[in-house]
Amino acid sequence: MAKRLLDFRDATALAGIGYTSFSKDSGVSTLTLACRAIMSALDDAGLGPDDVDGIATHRVGDSAAPSLVGPALGIHAPAWHLDQFGGGSVSHAIVGQAALAVAAGIADVVVCYRAINARSEFRMGSAPNPSPETQYLAPYGYGAPVQQFAMYARTHMLKYGTKAEHFGQVAVAQRAYAARNPRALMRRPITMSDYLASRPIAEPLRLLDCCLETDGAVAVVVTTAERARDLRRPPVLISGAAWGGGDSFLSPGEPTVTAAAALAPRLYGMAGVGPADIDVAELYDCFTYSVIVQLEDYGFCAKGEGGPFAASGEGPPVNTHGGFLSEGYVHGLNHVAEAVSQLRGDAGERQVAGAEVALSTAQPGHILPATSALILRRG
Amino acid sequence: MDRDSAEWWELVAKGVLAVQRCDSCGLARFPARAFCAACRTEGWSWARLAPLGVVESWIVSHWRAPEPFTVVRVRPAEAPGCVMYGTWRGEREPRQGERVVPLFTDQPSIEWRPADASGSDA
Repeated sequence: MAKRLLDFRDATALAGIGYTSFSKDSGVSTLTLACRAIMSALDDAGLGPDDVDGIATHRVGDSAAPSLVGPALGIHAPAWHLDQFGGGSVSHAIVGQAALAVAAGIADVVVCYRAINARSEFRMGSAPNPSPETQYLAPYGYGAPVQQFAMYARTHMLKYGTKAEHFGQVAVAQRAYAARNPRALMRRPITMSDYLASRPIAEPLRLLDCCLETDGAVAVVVTTAERARDLRRPPVLISGAAWGGGDSFLSPGEPTVTAAAALAPRLYGMAGVGPADIDVAELYDCFTYSVIVQLEDYGFCAKGEGGPFAASGEGPPVNTHGGFLSEGYVHGLNHVAEAVSQLRGDAGERQVAGAEVALSTAQPGHILPATSALILRRG
Repeated sequence: MDRDSAEWWELVAKGVLAVQRCDSCGLARFPARAFCAACRTEGWSWARLAPLGVVESWIVSHWRAPEPFTVVRVRPAEAPGCVMYGTWRGEREPRQGERVVPLFTDQPSIEWRPADASGSDA
């Protein structure tokens, strides 16, 4: 056990959230998207660029670095920055790391952003992946995220009897939330028949199992809990932040268990809560299956029961913004921002009544063998 | 192809299914790595395996391809702690747990066909 150097739980807060519009073609650079989202988040917090002394992002070679964004907004010589390599599995890690920097007193106000032209410029599965492990997949036309998640989804179906209709219920439920979200790209309600009729992409996954390739950006502002209490919006406390390794697509481990299973006890322990305390869960939904496996690995139901559990509607409301499936795919930070909205009580027609504690998660670790997650609490 | 893996691909080109075996503890490992993840030693040798695998899972991919194709996730019969992928060469969908044999292509790459030879629904 590491020596505890600082009191992390609830020491920092999310003080602001900001978005660009979501589209299929932003018509602007990722640098412009990043700047717009950051300005929006700072305005939400009642802060300005001169207050910022830390900048963080994650990317896979596809987006503007903090070293570009800082000068572009006149944020000179920040005290802390992070340019994290990685996709969705580290989306929540950058917020956790920003919170560590703030809790340690290295920075006071950190903006975390993810800007991506995921439809008009950078389509997942098309860009080169620098990992040497891809040499074992490339000869077979295999390796795109949808293909890899389809393989795990099939394994879960074979082992536990999970059905297409279980995946479909995730897609239908999230679309119903998106219908109440003005930001969402897809707001027309869908039925199980629509789901089952949607075309196969990588069987067993269909089109409506997949997230939306989206152009857009999201930013969040991390500062001390103390400072956040004096800002424009109600603070949302960062109660827990966790990181974790797991198995890659070439690892021999149990393929129906993700890195989230090992991370979850640490995360809950840090925040002092358990699954039953979670009022709203924003679970990384690159595909419907990832929601189902995380319901299990974050302890909302037993291993193998994620399909029927998701379809039953038991447990906390999940992906109240519509998720990547229906709101848009901003690689994880839009899940954090939605959790903040829910805990501040400003989520409009999709507000979960009385939401006090939220779980927000990153890609559970099936591709890059790592994941990350946050537990947030109304301040 | 990276430096750790070059020899494995040379074996594939010769039609050999192999994994590393740790000289110290005997653990079979794939893909090629300098260290044994169990005993953390460097010594290892190539272990030639019987040309036989077991299907764990599969997908039928339509993703950005003119025709659907099937990819299988296979564990070598003699090294069930290792995972490999490959194109499916059968006339029907794979079955979980079925035995498959490798086909070595000139690419080089390993594809898999049903051990029952015909791959039909007999």
